[in-house]
Amino acid sequence: MKLKAVAIRILALAGAGGTSLVYADINVGVTLSATGPAASLGIPEKNTFALMPTTLGGQKVNYIILDDASDTTTAVKNTRKLISENKVDAIIGSTITPNSLAMIDVAAEAETPMISMSAAAKIVEPMDAKRAWVFKTPQNDALMAAAIVDHMIAAKVKTVAYIGFADAYGEGWWNEFSKVAEAKGIKIVANERYNRPDTSVTGQVLKILSAKPDAVLVGGAGTPAALPEKSLKEKGYKGQMYQTHGVANPDFLRVCGKDCEGTILPAGPVLVADQLPDNNPVRAVALEYVGKYEGTYGKGSASTFGAHAWDAGRLLANAVPVALKKAKPGTPEFRKALRDALEGTRNLTLAHGVASYSDKDHVGFDQRARVMVKIENGGWKLVH
Amino acid sequence: MDLQIVLLLGQDGITSGAIYALLALALVLVFAVTRVIFIPQGEFVAFGALTLSSLQAGKLPGTLWLLIGLGAAVAFADISWALRHHKMRRVPLILFYNCGVPILLAGYLLAVSPATLPQPVQVALTLAMVVPIGAMIYRLAYQPIAEASVLMLLIVSVAVHVALIGLGLLFFGAEGSRTTPFTDMSFQIGDAVLQGQTVLVVVASLVLIVALYFYFERTIYGKALRATAMNRTGARLMGISANLAGRLSFMLAALIGAFSGVLIAPITTIYYDSGFLIGLKGFVGAIIGGLASYPIAAAGAILVGLLESFSSFYASAFKEVIVFTLIIPVLLWRSLTSRHVEEEE
Amino acid sequence: MRNRLLLGAFLAALALGPLVLPEFTITLLNYIGLYAMVALGLVLLTGVGGLTSFGQAAFVGIGAYTTAYLTTVHGVSPWLTLPAALAITAAVALFLGFITLRMGGHYLPLGTIAWGISLYFLFGNVDFLGGYTGITGIPALSLLGLEVKSGREFYYLIWAMLLLLVLTTRNLLDSREGRAIRALKGGSLMAEAMGVNTPRAKIIVFTVAALYACLSGWLYAHLQRFVNPTPFSLSQGIEFLFMVVVGGAGHVWGAILGAGVITILKQWLQDWLPRLLGQSGNFEVIVFGLLMILVLHRAREGLWPLLLRLFPAQATRPRVAEAEPLARRTLPDNGSVLLEVNNATKRFGGLVANDDMSLTVRAGEVMALIGPNGAGKTTMFNAISGISPVSSGEVRFLGERVEGLTARDIARRGMSRTFQHVRLLPAMSVLENVAIGAHLRGRRNFLHAACRTERKEEACLLHEAALQIERCGLAEHMYEAAGSLPLGKQRIVEIARALAADPCLLLLDEPAAGLRYLEKKALGELLRRLRHEGMGILLVEHDMDFVMGLADRVVVMEFGQKLAEGLPEEVQRNPAVLEAYLGGVDEHDGY
Repeated sequence: MKLKAVAIRILALAGAGGTSLVYADINVGVTLSATGPAASLGIPEKNTFALMPTTLGGQKVNYIILDDASDTTTAVKNTRKLISENKVDAIIGSTITPNSLAMIDVAAEAETPMISMSAAAKIVEPMDAKRAWVFKTPQNDALMAAAIVDHMIAAKVKTVAYIGFADAYGEGWWNEFSKVAEAKGIKIVANERYNRPDTSVTGQVLKILSAKPDAVLVGGAGTPAALPEKSLKEKGYKGQMYQTHGVANPDFLRVCGKDCEGTILPAGPVLVADQLPDNNPVRAVALEYVGKYEGTYGKGSASTFGAHAWDAGRLLANAVPVALKKAKPGTPEFRKALRDALEGTRNLTLAHGVASYSDKDHVGFDQRARVMVKIENGGWKLVH
Repeated sequence: MDLQIVLLLGQDGITSGAIYALLALALVLVFAVTRVIFIPQGEFVAFGALTLSSLQAGKLPGTLWLLIGLGAAVAFADISWALRHHKMRRVPLILFYNCGVPILLAGYLLAVSPATLPQPVQVALTLAMVVPIGAMIYRLAYQPIAEASVLMLLIVSVAVHVALIGLGLLFFGAEGSRTTPFTDMSFQIGDAVLQGQTVLVVVASLVLIVALYFYFERTIYGKALRATAMNRTGARLMGISANLAGRLSFMLAALIGAFSGVLIAPITTIYYDSGFLIGLKGFVGAIIGGLASYPIAAAGAILVGLLESFSSFYASAFKEVIVFTLIIPVLLWRSLTSRHVEEEE
Repeated sequence: MRNRLLLGAFLAALALGPLVLPEFTITLLNYIGLYAMVALGLVLLTGVGGLTSFGQAAFVGIGAYTTAYLTTVHGVSPWLTLPAALAITAAVALFLGFITLRMGGHYLPLGTIAWGISLYFLFGNVDFLGGYTGITGIPALSLLGLEVKSGREFYYLIWAMLLLLVLTTRNLLDSREGRAIRALKGGSLMAEAMGVNTPRAKIIVFTVAALYACLSGWLYAHLQRFVNPTPFSLSQGIEFLFMVVVGGAGHVWGAILGAGVITILKQWLQDWLPRLLGQSGNFEVIVFGLLMILVLHRAREGLWPLLLRLFPAQATRPRVAEAEPLARRTLPDNGSVLLEVNNATKRFGGLVANDDMSLTVRAGEVMALIGPNGAGKTTMFNAISGISPVSSGEVRFLGERVEGLTARDIARRGMSRTFQHVRLLPAMSVLENVAIGAHLRGRRNFLHAACRTERKEEACLLHEAALQIERCGLAEHMYEAAGSLPLGKQRIVEIARALAADPCLLLLDEPAAGLRYLEKKALGELLRRLRHEGMGILLVEHDMDFVMGLADRVVVMEFGQKLAEGLPEEVQRNPAVLEAYLGGVDEHDGY
């Protein structure tokens, strides 16, 4: 059935033996975690690249997508390969923080701009000669954590318990959240960890219950974040539940079901694009992305992670024409120009907010990049 | 920490422990009969749970295609063997079991809408899809090298595990699933609520263990397996085919795995890669039993469950460190007290 | 000769490679080199020593984290962190080895899984090690003032170190300690009986394997300049084992081959599958798994032996050169009592295998222990040689009580033995097998071996082994693999091995079984000569003609007890003995 397609590809490969004609194109290397523990984040990102524009500034663009299996060594290997074999002009990736951190050195050494799709502020801060080459599309954890803390204060939450993944995600959230919360006078009464595939969190949940917090924050991504919340509900917890933007995908709602009603989380505006007021600039861009994604992969399939990839694509689309004026793709000059053009991005509307970069700030988001969302009737509801 | 918490943790540990115990039994069985340390045991848990959840979501699970694919491969291997050994009469039977049955199953699933079927039928269909895969994996991956060293068989297990994980991601996606509970009952004990589904896990595990006991004690196939486990050469001299014993033990292992998956899927979220860690803990139990003793393996598995539960209360970040560090003294003690007979490989 | 040429070509290719190869190939070769270091340690540990470890990745982690922490937090020079990393690894390995290596059978692999997982989560949970997020900004290495930064520069560093390790590993294996390590795989019984301190040998290979892994981790940290826990997880530990088995667990070069095949195959799959199937992602691992199953089916010993078959050349086995003879033990006076067993009883649970047995062996005599199968003769042997001590009673050797001593301590005192079920290392040459017997007559350790400063002693040991082989009439088979000899000759090799220990008392368990008439005659001659030289011989044998023609005295056992004792002709006439032998006891061999 697929044999014919395979045969055509083999022929095409044989035909394209010489790579000389590729040089005129713009090559964008992508490494993301389509398998391994971070697969639920990486897969929508990968899917998004199929929707990206095929020309930038009138030049053909090739996306070379590699899977790093959520493993740092592979991510670095991929980066080296993209740089030395594919002579890419820019790198997008990776999905998770440790991978992105590990790639910085390689990208900076090859003077290739890199746009990360992972959350930790550490990837672009503190700014130095290496990080000058690194940009990132997801909001910093700190921005999201501050939003949760603001909501908690408004809801008169005095004590809170934290339970997060035993990995870089749960750890990153704990660091940001505990810092902001303590500064604002919220007492953290429990700090628990669990493994993504754990089948039971009863021990952690009992510990949390015995600390009697007003609210609980779960620092996890995707469906695994449902387990603590379900266990808490099952054991009769009545306080307010908070989740992070990591859960903002339809599968989370499917698995958590009615136990997650009323849960509050911060998220990129793309999650509730259709509920945004018409005058919000993000609305149009976000709806465009959701429309394209769901047009290809089915209704209700879009997630905020894919939108990070989409935003990376938009950043490039904005910067490439500027860089093309200065140099030809495939040259060090072009990569330098591309970096400068990326840093020169001002007031660019993305699916996750409005980005303005500077030589100090390579995230470029402000308050417009996050909204508070409540889970209501099995859907996401924008909280005003 | 009060009594209630102790009770709840104990109950949680026993529930996990029951599942680990089932897997430990399967691992001991497979090792005793075939000398294979069956790393992919946990994958059957994930496949069982996720196949059931696919059926409940009204989708055709990828497991079905795997079954058909493996069935075809087994039929190919067996028929080419039969041709070489001039046993043509076996061909129709080979075709029926390996190709006919899966296709009938597929036809049935395509004809009905699986989501509307009653739950017991869904479970039966799940088992019908997952269990034969065990025997087929044995036929394709292990039978050709049944006489190789334990290390070799172990490494093949790793390869099978890698392939199955990849297939799991392909079939079920990266996100997890839960299934509808078998029962909504719950019991009030003091202030605590005991979910009926949790009780069901423990009871069903016990029932399965007892059933296995009778299987080994009373049935001819069970006895054949026991004989093979005790003395492979002797069993072969008595006319018990090592291949049959191998397939049978893998089928039982798949049954136990899939059954465990079906049991826990309503109380927790299962992912395509959940199996490894669950299987590993069953493995710890099995090793405590020296890969030979069923009761000690089961007790070891319960111990692992309890350790896990209590350490997740006291120091959740260090849970695995505690569980696996505390296992070392137990292993040491077992190793020093059990009379170690030198194996000749 | 051709082997040398091939090796030379390989080295030349390695040296010139970076000048012509594309950048990414160099990157891959760097990773292959790093993986091969760990795999090399596993070859020693698993392939040679027979100890399976899933936890090597954790040692890689210790190496990487030590340097990452010291260089980034304390600004220590990377080169100073290397000894620190090695020292920490050695300490951890010694501690873990001390605990887990006592575990026999399947407990050891599980023990390695346990600490592999524990160390992984420790890395992730310790704040000063950067937690799960990891440590950034690890400095580059500098060598003689030059920064080793690019892949090409690193390539030379990695492969020079790897080749150095290969060389030292080969040196180590081709030595007295190396034979002791290789003897581990044949089970510790034989090794202990030859005086090998098996716990020590195990700890040594375990520590050496851990140090290799540590070195790999140290290099990894400076190549990657970032560390986080994932590369040191259990699954990576399993992958190292995978590489070794695919490459060929028993071969030093198998480590490099395995690391290379796995790394390159994964890369190819990543390159080609998406192009063929039109999508990327999950198919790579599936196809990878299936391919590996196929490879393992076709090459059970790994790929290296397959390669060797393509280039059939004589294996380079150690040869004998002229050397000074080793110092001999002064044998006790002829007729003096060597061994005295008094009222020895051995119980296995409720079963009494030896009941109140007593016997003596004098210097310059052949004492035969006979009896039907299951009479407890081998149990008696094991009790005397310290393999399975008596439950009560005493065993005196040269006047000293030895029933509480280990087999190797008894061996050191001048007792040597053979086994009923031949315990040779089939892949090793006859010469090397016999040299194991001379283990206690050398003293240079593994460090000397790795640096080749024990060549003189090694030559003496091999010379001694060769002498014993000639003495037993096997000179023509000296360089053949022991496993290729017929069983009868293998028994003679066992005797030569026992003789290489320069014993004053020789225990022979059924030496004549499987021998042909002429061979038996030659064996009889040999034993007579040994007796004449003043050695005491205790013999278990079924062949009555052989026993009666040779033995000075005979002890007959039945049901664990002594039935009769005396001169051969007395015993042969003893009615109780006749009853026991003709009374319908099965003659086929039991276990």
